[in-house]
Amino acid sequence: MTAWRTVFTYNKYAQITARALRNSLKEEERIIAEKRGLTTVRYQKWENGAGGQQVVLNEVKQ
Amino acid sequence: MSSLRIIRSAARKAATFSVARRGYADISEKLNLSLALPHKTIFNSQDVVQVNIPAESGDMGILSNHVPSIEPIKPGVVEVIESGGTQKFFVSSGFATVHPNNKLTINVVEGAPLESFSLDAVRSSLQEALKVASGNGSEAEKLEARVEADVYESLQYALGK
Repeated sequence: MTAWRTVFTYNKYAQITARALRNSLKEEERIIAEKRGLTTVRYQKWENGAGGQQVVLNEVKQ
Repeated sequence: MSSLRIIRSAARKAATFSVARRGYADISEKLNLSLALPHKTIFNSQDVVQVNIPAESGDMGILSNHVPSIEPIKPGVVEVIESGGTQKFFVSSGFATVHPNNKLTINVVEGAPLESFSLDAVRSSLQEALKVASGNGSEAEKLEARVEADVYESLQYALGK
């Protein structure tokens, strides 16, 4: 049961179980729920007090 | 680890026997339950009789006057027993905290009433997950699939009962 401990973090484990639950919902609820699992990531590197270019890693279409 | 569990269960027994007249069927003292998801609150400081939770260390029934404890939750059914009836929710994972003042808070990432699930979706997802888990991907992929398969198996059992 805790074989995954060496491979990923608890956060990742929680996300995996949540995703599995969302996949099992009935049609209408599943469509709403799947949106909750999507994350857009945007990062920006700061140097000498100035922010660099904002880079979007993962654009999620709402 | 097992000694901790013995001490913990002894502490639990001590809490229930310290008040002499208390019995398990005593519903005059209610348990204050808050069951919350990040996007939704299912119960908000509501008085209930008993809550059954699927803790990692084993399924537990929490009544009033429970010893304070923090339990990680594994994917399973949270059953809320009120004086009017019983409700069952399947939750993904999280933590249940029993506070000293008869208060139970359960925080989980995802959860829904059992009626919201589709047994067909569970069965087909389980087949796919088992295929990946016993396939020839990387160790991480296989463990991920094993975790998902555990959720589907638990859900299948809960829906089948």
